[in-house]
Amino acid sequence: MARERCVIIGNGPAANAAAVALRQETSELDIMMIGEETFPHYRPHLLPAYVAGAISKEDLFVTPPSFYEKCNIRIRLGQRVVQVKLDQRELVLSHKEIVPFDALIIACGGRQRIPERLQIFEELLLTLKTPADAQRWIEGLKSAETILIVGGDLTSLSFATAIASAGKRVTFMLEEESFWPLPLSRDLADDVKQRLTRKGVEIIEASCIKRLTRKSEDVIEVDTDTGLIASNLVGAFYGLIPNVKFLVRSGLDVERGVLVDENLRTRFDLVYAAGDCAQIYHPELRDYWVSIGYRNAMEQGKIAAQNLSGGMISIAAPPASIFCAEGVMVNTSWWMEF
Amino acid sequence: MDKTVETAAYPHNEANAQPSRTYYSTHPADLHYIGVNVPCQNACPAFTNVPAYIRCLFEDRNARSYDLNRIANLFPGVLGRICSRPCETKCRHGEPELGKSVGICHLKRSAADFGDTAVAPKQPTRNPQGKNVCIIGAGPAGLAAGYDLAIAGFQVTILEALSEAGGMLRYGIPEFRLPRDVLAKEIQWVLDHGMTLRTGVRVGRDVYLDDLLHAYDAVLMAAGCYVSKPLEVQGEDLPGVYTGLRFVMDIASGKAPSLGNNVLVIGAGFTAFDCARLALRYGASNVSICLRATEHDLRVADEEIFETKREGIKILGLMASNRIIGVDRLEAVEFLRTRPTELLPNGKRKVAPIQQSEFVVPCDTAIVAIGQGAEPLPGPGDKDRRGVIRIDTRTFRSSVPRLYGAGDYTTGPTTVIEAIASGRRAAQRIVENLAGSRTTQWAVKIEDANITDRERSWDYIQREEMPTIMPVQARMVAPTNEVDQGFSPEQTREESKRCYLCYLHYEIDMARCIYCRYCIDVAPRDCIKLVKSVVLNEVGAVVGFEETKIWRHVNAVIIDNARCIRCGECVRVCPVDCISVSKVELVQQTIPCGGTNGS
Repeated sequence: MARERCVIIGNGPAANAAAVALRQETSELDIMMIGEETFPHYRPHLLPAYVAGAISKEDLFVTPPSFYEKCNIRIRLGQRVVQVKLDQRELVLSHKEIVPFDALIIACGGRQRIPERLQIFEELLLTLKTPADAQRWIEGLKSAETILIVGGDLTSLSFATAIASAGKRVTFMLEEESFWPLPLSRDLADDVKQRLTRKGVEIIEASCIKRLTRKSEDVIEVDTDTGLIASNLVGAFYGLIPNVKFLVRSGLDVERGVLVDENLRTRFDLVYAAGDCAQIYHPELRDYWVSIGYRNAMEQGKIAAQNLSGGMISIAAPPASIFCAEGVMVNTSWWMEF
Repeated sequence: MDKTVETAAYPHNEANAQPSRTYYSTHPADLHYIGVNVPCQNACPAFTNVPAYIRCLFEDRNARSYDLNRIANLFPGVLGRICSRPCETKCRHGEPELGKSVGICHLKRSAADFGDTAVAPKQPTRNPQGKNVCIIGAGPAGLAAGYDLAIAGFQVTILEALSEAGGMLRYGIPEFRLPRDVLAKEIQWVLDHGMTLRTGVRVGRDVYLDDLLHAYDAVLMAAGCYVSKPLEVQGEDLPGVYTGLRFVMDIASGKAPSLGNNVLVIGAGFTAFDCARLALRYGASNVSICLRATEHDLRVADEEIFETKREGIKILGLMASNRIIGVDRLEAVEFLRTRPTELLPNGKRKVAPIQQSEFVVPCDTAIVAIGQGAEPLPGPGDKDRRGVIRIDTRTFRSSVPRLYGAGDYTTGPTTVIEAIASGRRAAQRIVENLAGSRTTQWAVKIEDANITDRERSWDYIQREEMPTIMPVQARMVAPTNEVDQGFSPEQTREESKRCYLCYLHYEIDMARCIYCRYCIDVAPRDCIKLVKSVVLNEVGAVVGFEETKIWRHVNAVIIDNARCIRCGECVRVCPVDCISVSKVELVQQTIPCGGTNGS
């Protein structure tokens, strides 16, 4: 009889933690990871430092390919799951290959969010989620002098200060209302602004972007409600959005992320979700929550794998996922708005 | 091989060498075939001939394209903007491995934008019948019924309670989605077929149903659904709480309410989205749509959801309203968190509120748009528990002789295209009953055709996006500015190229097939099959194939037209020209007089 197979969708912290934990539980299981990006497992929170030249590319990566070989984990990169057929226990990949599975852990993470109103200007905006994004920044920064950061999320704060310290002129248009993962209060916003100013980032008071126009090869003009800003590069930092569109008609409950219970179970047997893409029900609070961040994702990946192997571990409650961003403590455990 | 010589010596399409032939069939097997093979036309409640009108646009025959639409759905300019697009969900191009559906609705608008819309009214197909019909309600169902009845030679009077014709088109759909001049023009064309429209006449107040039944040979209730469903929660009567319908109707009548900054819209349908977008245009700055289920369970088109978010409206899921909070006026809404449960067969997601999960969202205005029902009317007949006359949705009859019903009034809220189709079917039923015979029938028109000039590369053209007013701030300058700008002629042509033209039917003549299987080699997907036998249903329609991989069991090579994407490669490659092409369309035939009695 063929060995049972667990497929893990994703190659981020949750997916890797799940794979490792699963292998620790059993050697009797085929483990296959399917990651959409072509990069091996990396640390996204180090990308700002990498762009600023503070660390090398090698420092980004966590696990060498030999690790997977040693653990007998099959890893497939650059392959996208487009459909999950839960009744047939099959995945369909974008190149039409069908992959059967017995158990499934969905840990596909999130992608950079561009607000709908700015999506038509997407090609003028740089984001920072993957090493490929970082490469685009590095290329751009070779000749760019002025950089405008719009939006506001946790990454943007460290990124703005990192490139300011690298000698670039950085302006920041902070959208407090839509700060990700939760809107900033007046006090918190003032605090963030002061900290940024101290580190050499210029804060621009404007609340919305009307239009972006490429004026020349290296100048983009941003039309805001308080005036025009010309800049060499424009970075959009509006947080992450779970990558769950491909699951919408699968039968899984999907809202912002995949709805799971406190054991990270979906409504289907042996199907779990973990990390940024999971929206977790909290029985005491009687509400759903989403956590973000590398460490939370790893923790959840591990728990999903342990529960898949017969455990009944609940995710820590209430999640103490307090993040330190520029010295400001931000509680990111609650999904307030998108 | 020299392609031109080959073509000249062996005409690819056998039909080319013979005079063109056309057949009409009303055989159930042929009608079934349309359902399987031309999914768009079959999905349209009014059976709009989608491939034909898209092909006309490609050929730059815009007026014909407009007319093909009008024949079926009467209001192409309106539907090209606001149709719920059941056709697009069935479009073969939208099958998982084939990409996105064709922009059928946007192309309909192109037909209206570029076609000649100033067409003279059609002539009646029959002499005056000396009979009169009263239609209650000048909405899409009533107007559509009136059109067919007038064409069939009846005297038609339409009574409208509101001050203008159009029903929900006029009062329910915001102007930024449907400009009033487009609407007025298409309504006028329908009215020009010789009907009397009396506005401001409300049945039950100005006239009574009993009197109408005495005065007319038949009465058709097409009064729509104008009674808002209540939330049935505490505090619903507080000032600051509107029903969605009242809100949109007030705005349509020029009475814009004052909203405050924070607006919550409770509901998940088109009306909820319209309310939210209107609220933003009438002064609110922070608008959220609150759903019991999730954004992914919505039936609203993806483009609509995207445009709504683009305007800055938030869509919040998994919350059920529990209580309206306020002393003299609305201050907040209390919600319960919900848990999604099973998916119902109709595609709706059931949710269960989670007890003791209350949370409060402050707001200045709450708009409740959770649906509408028909209005109870005093008068005769079998009624439901709310006092609404019961109408059989199949026969369009009530328990009262000569009293019929059509549109949303009989079914509850549906879509404009369903209301139009319902009105037209009800009209046929009235014609049959009053005149003793039908005036029209649906038939399958089958004629010889050529393989298309479509190129395989056209199958990879990306779906055109509807241009809209941008940036979004510009949309708010005047609340009535139409957001969708319509395709340019170039976009129309590109999008029209994407249609597979599923009305073409490819068939292998088994008497001439040499089983070389070249066609299978070039087929873009599993559309050509080696079969042992063909499965027929009781009326003789093909419903399946018994495929085989064992060569000695192969009795035929068959093109499965439900899988075929009409690329024509098989015809081009066939060495013995045994693959023929025909054009198969569902058409409404006029029966001038004395046709078959269809009752």
